[in-house]
Amino acid sequence: MITLENVSKTYRTNNGVKSVLSNVSIKIPTDKNIAILGLNGSGKSTLLRMLGGIDYPTRGRIYSDKSFSWPMGLSGGFQGSMTGRHNVKFVCRIHGKDDTDIAKAINFVEDFSELGDYFDMPIKSYSSGMKSRLGFGLSLFFDFDYLLIDEALSVGDKNFQKKSRAALMNKIKSSHVILVSHSMPTLVDLCDVAIYLHDGHLTYFDNVEEAIEAYQAH
Amino acid sequence: MPVKSPISTHTNVINALFLREMQTRFGSQKLGYLWVFIDSIAQIVVLAGIKAILFDRSMPGVDFAVFLAIGILAFNMFKSIVFRSMDAFSANKGLFVYKQVKPIDALITRAMVEFLIYICALMSLLVIGLYFNFDVNIQNIMLFVGAYIWIAIFGLSLGITFAILAEFFENLKKVVKLIFLPLFFISGIFFSVESLPLALREWLLYNPVLHFMELIHGSYFSVLDTHYVDYQYMFFWTVIPLFTGLFLYQRTYKVILTS
Repeated sequence: MITLENVSKTYRTNNGVKSVLSNVSIKIPTDKNIAILGLNGSGKSTLLRMLGGIDYPTRGRIYSDKSFSWPMGLSGGFQGSMTGRHNVKFVCRIHGKDDTDIAKAINFVEDFSELGDYFDMPIKSYSSGMKSRLGFGLSLFFDFDYLLIDEALSVGDKNFQKKSRAALMNKIKSSHVILVSHSMPTLVDLCDVAIYLHDGHLTYFDNVEEAIEAYQAH
Repeated sequence: MPVKSPISTHTNVINALFLREMQTRFGSQKLGYLWVFIDSIAQIVVLAGIKAILFDRSMPGVDFAVFLAIGILAFNMFKSIVFRSMDAFSANKGLFVYKQVKPIDALITRAMVEFLIYICALMSLLVIGLYFNFDVNIQNIMLFVGAYIWIAIFGLSLGITFAILAEFFENLKKVVKLIFLPLFFISGIFFSVESLPLALREWLLYNPVLHFMELIHGSYFSVLDTHYVDYQYMFFWTVIPLFTGLFLYQRTYKVILTS
């Protein structure tokens, strides 16, 4: 169960205060893969960051007894001055993995991400696709209850997309995803329920198709 | 994934950050570790040379090269801790995407790395000094070591406060770097308080770093003492920024994480 209790989130911008969530309360049942829908700027990524514990509601609270991955997106998620290999080591270490596991993780991620020589180059030389391949590969190595994925699946060539889709399908047998995507077929394939964000409100749908209808009707 | 205790998560994070900092601090240049050393030795040689040419009035019983060495290393360490903690947040932003990693961890790790580097440099210098017959008999070794640790903590507390304020006032970093230029000349690195004219003495003793230098020199040489060291003054300069910094951190870390 993920519970949002009277959650409001506002941002200060140069054009005044912008509200992305206003007084939202919802309980999301466990054991569901969740799609998040909404226009650009409606707060999808912010919601994901708050679930991932790296952003905080302005008011209200969010709680859950489940573990969440870091939000995987196209932008960032890595320290640019470090190489792919060093980033993998770093993430393993903060999760308390020992040297054997770190070696395994490096082999796995190096193989999965297909970065070649780039694996030993600083992340700032990566394209955004390469970053998400690295991030996605790395996240597959850990056992989170929920993977938080922000548009990170639509990268790479057809082969890589197929591979990552298959890997994710395999992964969600044992864990779940919370997925932000503008690709409706992906959402329908992977997710069981949906959240639609609009004008600071949040609507929960038991089925993804209905949410897509509501989103497209808007 | 089983939930880990906060303490072990914290140790894991500090450990990971430590290895990362060591890598980025020196990874790009092979001579990196040596550079800390070369940099300080160059300063010692230049200042010792100037002193030898311009002033022949030496402090009797004081090996001036050693006097300079222990002061310059302490000052460089202090400066390095302040500067590098000040940049700790911006240099680690990419890692805050992992919820285990908090900004303060990055800052404390950086200060630790600088402390260890300079302690290694100090010990190497003392060993070299021993080989070349310089005066390496430390009069009060506990006090000497304590002074080095204390000035490191002083640097950390200033670093925390500056790092947080710099999140909101971008120019602060430039101002702090500017202040450190004259600070080098008024902090007792190449003179003792005793050797100053009375009028100047009173004013320069407002500089907390001068007290630390007096403590370091006084604890090292048997002919010098720590007569001018005001421990209470040093204590306030350490504790007030530390608590201000921690208080500000508590109030603003959410902003720092998301900015």
